[in-house]
This record gives sequence, structure tokens and C-alpha cells, in this order.
Amino acid sequence: MTGLVLATFSTIALYFYTNYLLENEVEEVLYSTEARVEDALKNSNILPYLPPVAEVKQVESLRNEILKDTIIYDPSQDEMELFRELTTFKTINGKNYQITVRNMMVESKEFVIAIVFSNVTIFGLAFVFLFYFNTARNLQLWRPFFKNLEQMKRFSLSSKEPLELIESDVLEFSELKKEITILTNKVRSDYENLKQFTEDVSHEMQTPLAIIQAKIDNIINAQEINDKQFEQITSIQKDIQRLKQLNKHITTLTKIENNQFVNVENVNLTLLINEKIESFKELQMVNLFHASNGILQVSMDAYLADILVNNLISNAIKYSKKEEIITIISNQSSLMVSNFGEKALENPGQLFQRFYRESNGTKSTGLGLAIVKKICDLYQFKVSYKFEEKHHVFSVAF
Amino acid sequence: MKFLIAEDEQDLQQSIVTYLKQDGNICEVASDFSEASEKIAIYDYDVIVLDINLVTGSGLDLLKTLKKEKKKAGIIIISANNSLTDKLEGLDLGADDYITKPFHLAELNSRINAVLRRGKYGGDEVLEFNEIKIDTKSRTAFINDNTIPLTRKEYDLLVFFISNQGRVLSKEIIAEHLWGDDSDLLDNFDFIYVHINNLRKKLTAEGAKYIKTAYGSGYKFSFE
Repeated sequence: MTGLVLATFSTIALYFYTNYLLENEVEEVLYSTEARVEDALKNSNILPYLPPVAEVKQVESLRNEILKDTIIYDPSQDEMELFRELTTFKTINGKNYQITVRNMMVESKEFVIAIVFSNVTIFGLAFVFLFYFNTARNLQLWRPFFKNLEQMKRFSLSSKEPLELIESDVLEFSELKKEITILTNKVRSDYENLKQFTEDVSHEMQTPLAIIQAKIDNIINAQEINDKQFEQITSIQKDIQRLKQLNKHITTLTKIENNQFVNVENVNLTLLINEKIESFKELQMVNLFHASNGILQVSMDAYLADILVNNLISNAIKYSKKEEIITIISNQSSLMVSNFGEKALENPGQLFQRFYRESNGTKSTGLGLAIVKKICDLYQFKVSYKFEEKHHVFSVAF
Repeated sequence: MKFLIAEDEQDLQQSIVTYLKQDGNICEVASDFSEASEKIAIYDYDVIVLDINLVTGSGLDLLKTLKKEKKKAGIIIISANNSLTDKLEGLDLGADDYITKPFHLAELNSRINAVLRRGKYGGDEVLEFNEIKIDTKSRTAFINDNTIPLTRKEYDLLVFFISNQGRVLSKEIIAEHLWGDDSDLLDNFDFIYVHINNLRKKLTAEGAKYIKTAYGSGYKFSFE
């Protein structure tokens, strides 16, 4: 942009300057021609007549000299041409003469075109050359930077692969590389520590829970207690069961994040769904229906497949009343679980987040759907939720 | 029967002992790795309850030793880790069962009995309680030699009751035994009544009135 403005201004300046120089030159030529005509008049007394370049006339009186532009028809070129004209009045050998000399001017239009054309050509060439030269040089110079940037974009906490950063001759890039390496290593090790901590905590909780559980079991049997106390003690058992589930879910989440499920095999989800329905039906009089349009075969860890199907169906069961129908529809590439709902969820966007609950239902650990999401992310399945015709619909596209 | 409880958490160890002693079993304890390996080397046990994470060593190493020396004891591993690989590793090494903390003592007891019944370790495949006889191999129950037709859940329930006879079992314990982790899906335990009442009816019809209600909402299988 600046280059363009500069080029325009310089072209204009160049035009005026050249114009000025040329005019000066033409005037000099005119004066020198006039001097020669004068000399010729002094020596020969013949009136030179050379139109349109020089004309001499005898006049009565002397006047001031005139310098002006005029347009004269030039028969040799058959067009009107611009001339610079100098008219002087001189007394030579006692006679008064009017001497007119003319010189053809270069036309300003042609002049501008010539200057603009040459300037544009020069600037254009310079621009193209500099552009390619700079681009090539910059590409070479910034290559390590962009390569490393690309690596950083692909950086993932969960992947164990180290960043492959390129060394650069440029000091700044080299330092940047060093810092990125330090930073990512630190982030990774912090993340690992955090994961390990979560796992350890949930692990360490199991033993105290086991002690509480065992003691409660013995209290019920060993001491004489009343019905009210029995109620309360057994409700503690329920809470222990909840903690146990929570621990189990945390462990599962951590393991998925740690990529510990590596036994990918061909799992027949249609079959798995039918088995799940059978075992759920045994559990409670739930109305589970499965419509299958073609066998759904998926490549994934069998244990995770079990969890995926189990969590989707049990989520629907948890939020259904006994007589309500839960529908499961599957085909070769997708699975859909829907259950009745009075109204849409308030924050469907947070549905797959850890510990998100719409209601304060104590039955949920708040991790079931987060695990579903994690499993789907792991295998690039697409899980989604929508509320349609008074039904909560969860779909997974494989 | 003679059991060894190898568990480094004293409280848990003593609770297990208290529960198992009620059936007249002899329970010995080991609180760390060396004590456990010493006792295993010297004495013979019917069942060893083995914690994987003993403070001073791994229960899996003890398991390897036991198998190398071809000890006859049935082995139940208890672990704070509910990972599948740990479970498979334990079972691959020759453990008879695997139970994850926290667990109900009734559940542990029922697993111990199941291990004993498999016959290898001096137990009997037939489970008896007065006139009730259960053939655990064919999964059939008899009262005075009459077959009682039981559903799968009713059968499991009866075996669980007899294994834990004389103890109060809450609905939570029963639900967890019958349905495992899925039991937390239940908003109430009404469905347990259905199964228990059906079983009770079938037994009472043959004159076996052993399922008693305790504390209003619990159950107890006993003579009185």
C-alpha cells in the first residue's frame, strides 16, 4: 500500500520535474536560435523565412518580447502540434525587425504515458521480484516456527507422544522451542500427577469404606438394635454403595484417559443390547423395547462397549417411571435411546460434563454420561442429545 | 473349617473374623506379608482370604507360592482395585474368586462357601439345611426329596440365605448380591419383596418356614 502511494507520488513529481527541465531546455534553444537569426540579419540583410521554426518581419515599432505556447498545423505529420514561440523585437542596421522562433514541444499526454508506463513497469517488476524473493526467504526463515506451531496445535495431554520440535538458526525461535518443550513437559507431568492423585484417592478410599461396611454388617448381627436404628444403619449401606460406584466410575474415567483399554475387537452391539435388556428386565419391570434395523458391529474394546450400552440404558431407566417405555433403536451405524420426559433439560450443553445433574436425584453419581462421552471421544463416535416430542433422545453415530 | 485371613487392616481383619466365627469356623489371621507366608508354610487351611496389597508385600506373590507348593487351600483375593486386569491376573494365577473392597461380609461368606462347595477343598457340593437340600452342581433344590421349582434369582437367594443363616440381611445386601452394580438403579426395593415372597411361599408350601423378617425391613434365615 505504502509502496503504491509512494510510486504514485514519485511518478507525479517526476512528471513535473521533467516537464520543467524540458521547458527550460526548449527556451534555451529558442534564445540561441533567435541569436543566430539576429547574426544572420546583421551579416546578410536577407530576411530568413523558415516556418514554423523561424520567421522575420520588418515592423514599425519595437515591442516587448513575448514567450508563449501556440498550436500550429504541421503538414509533415498532418496534425496540430504544440509549439513554444519566442517573439522578439530588435533594431538591426537601423531597421526594426520582429523575429519569431518556434520549437516543437513534446506533448504532455505522451509524456505522462511514457513516464507512468516506465514507472509502473519498474515498480511492478521490483514488486514481483521482491515479493517472490521475500516470500521464499521468509518461508525458509519461518519454517521451524510454523512446523513447531503445527506440532503445538496437535498437542494433546492424553497422548503420550512427545512433541517433535525443529531446531532453528534464529535465536528467538530456538529459545521458543526450548520453552515450549519445558512447558509441555511440565504440563504433561502435572496432568499425570493429577490423574495419579485422583486414582490414588479413589483407591485409598476403598479400604476405609470396606471397614465401615464390615463393621455395619457386624453391628446388625451382633448387637440388639431397634427397628429405627436398623433403618438408619442400612441406609448407610446405601451411601457406601454410592461411594463405591463413584470410585468405580472415577477409575473407569481415568483408565480411558490413560488409554488403558487397548483390546479393540469387533463387538456386536445389537447382541449386547439384547443381553443388557434381558438383565435389566430381570432387575425390574421396566419397559425396554429394542428395534433393530440391521446388525450394529463396532470396533472397540469389549469392556467399554459394555459400559457404553449399560450407561446409556441405565441413564434412561434412572429417569423413567416404572410404566414409561424406553425405546432403543439401532441400525448398522447408529444407536438411539429415548425415554419419556416432561420438559427439555435446562442445560443440555452441560449434560456430558462430570457431576452435572439436572435434579438432585441421589441415585446418580453424575459420571455415567461423562463416561459415555469419553468413550465416544476415544473412538471418534458422535454422541448427541435432543428433546423431541416429550422424549429425551440420546444418539450415538458410529 | 479353618480359614486364614491375610489382611493388614486390623479393623477389617477382625470384622471378617467375627462374622466367619459365627458358623463355628476357626479363623487365623496374618497382618503382614511375612506373617502370612510363615503361616501358609506351616499350616493347612481350607480357605485363605488374601489381600493383594499387604503392606510388606504382594498377595499375588503369596498366591504364586501357594500354587507352586500345590497347597489345597481355596483362595479368595480381596483388593481395593476393581480393575479387570488385576482380577484376571489373580484368577489366572489360580485364585478361586476375587472380591473388591468395599464388600459385604455376607457376600464374602457366601463366596467362601461357594469355593468350599466346589468340592476340591474338602467341602460338599450338596448344601443342606434341615429338610432342605441343594445340589449346587445341577442348581436344584429339594425339600424332603421333593424338587422345588425355583427361578434363577430364587435359587441364588436361597443359597445366599443358607450360606448366611442366622444373620440379618438387609435389602441392600440382598440386592447387591443378586444384581451387583445394577442394584443402584432401583428407586426402591419393592422388587426384592416379590422375589423373597415367592421363595417364601414355595418353601412354606413344603413346610419349611425359615425366612423370617427382622427389624421390620431385614431378613433372617433361621430355625427359631
